[in-house]
Amino acid sequence: MTMMSNQEFAKRMMLLAKPAEQFRPTATYDPDGDCIEFLASPESFYAERVDDLVTVYYSQETGEVIGSLIKGVSKFCKTLLEKMPGFRIEIRDGRVSLEHIFRARLWFSHFAPEELPTLTYQKLIRMAEEIQAEAELCVS
Amino acid sequence: MMVDKRESRRQYITIAAAEPDGTTCEVQISFDRMQAVGRRSLGHAKECAFIVPMILQHPAAIFSGLRRDEDEDCRGLGWRCYCGIPEHSYRPDGSEAHPYPNQVYLVFVNDERVAYNWRWEQADPDNPTLPRDHETRFRQRLL
Repeated sequence: MTMMSNQEFAKRMMLLAKPAEQFRPTATYDPDGDCIEFLASPESFYAERVDDLVTVYYSQETGEVIGSLIKGVSKFCKTLLEKMPGFRIEIRDGRVSLEHIFRARLWFSHFAPEELPTLTYQKLIRMAEEIQAEAELCVS
Repeated sequence: MMVDKRESRRQYITIAAAEPDGTTCEVQISFDRMQAVGRRSLGHAKECAFIVPMILQHPAAIFSGLRRDEDEDCRGLGWRCYCGIPEHSYRPDGSEAHPYPNQVYLVFVNDERVAYNWRWEQADPDNPTLPRDHETRFRQRLL
């Protein structure tokens, strides 16, 4: 494969760019990272790891949670279905609400209700509910 | 809103990246990922267009073995994190600003040399060119 110059790469990327006004909340599965990236705002963000599964995105402007990265999706799905086989009923046409994934992770965890990771998960659950974010799961 | 998962073969664009020994290697970025990032804002698009190549080619540090990102499973082996401080940050409208204080920019590359994620993170208070918790988070520092 031919290596692209930085200039060509930047030009190619910017041809794909849309203004922030056209932004719509997105949740995208990336097979290269086996991760689901969930973003509810076009703002610039910084990331902080919550635990092995989730890295949360905070707005650079406001410090509010605006998204997350769910990592190791295949492994988590496998574990989830082994421990909670009834979870299958929440998967419709291979898709599941992100809120269920966040909630399942929270239920597996040992975080106390007042701990920051719990509060962060609860915030992500509310956001996922509000925008009805769904993810595709690999269920074998 | 639905997650878009494509099972078909992805298309990739290849750009240069630094090797720890000073030579150059190839890193790929999927066109699907570029499209997804481009749809967010001009600022996100410019991060990918300008910051990602700069960090890959002129990193302050390269780490391998993403312990936390891969939950310590064997897939962490060979996965890399390129780290640096860009010259600019970008606002959502695409305008340039100073880099965010006390933050570094990270580009994550998997064992097939695909850059799959990039973002700002908090810097180590004792070494502002490195990410916070870098000592425990990665298996090895290569550069």
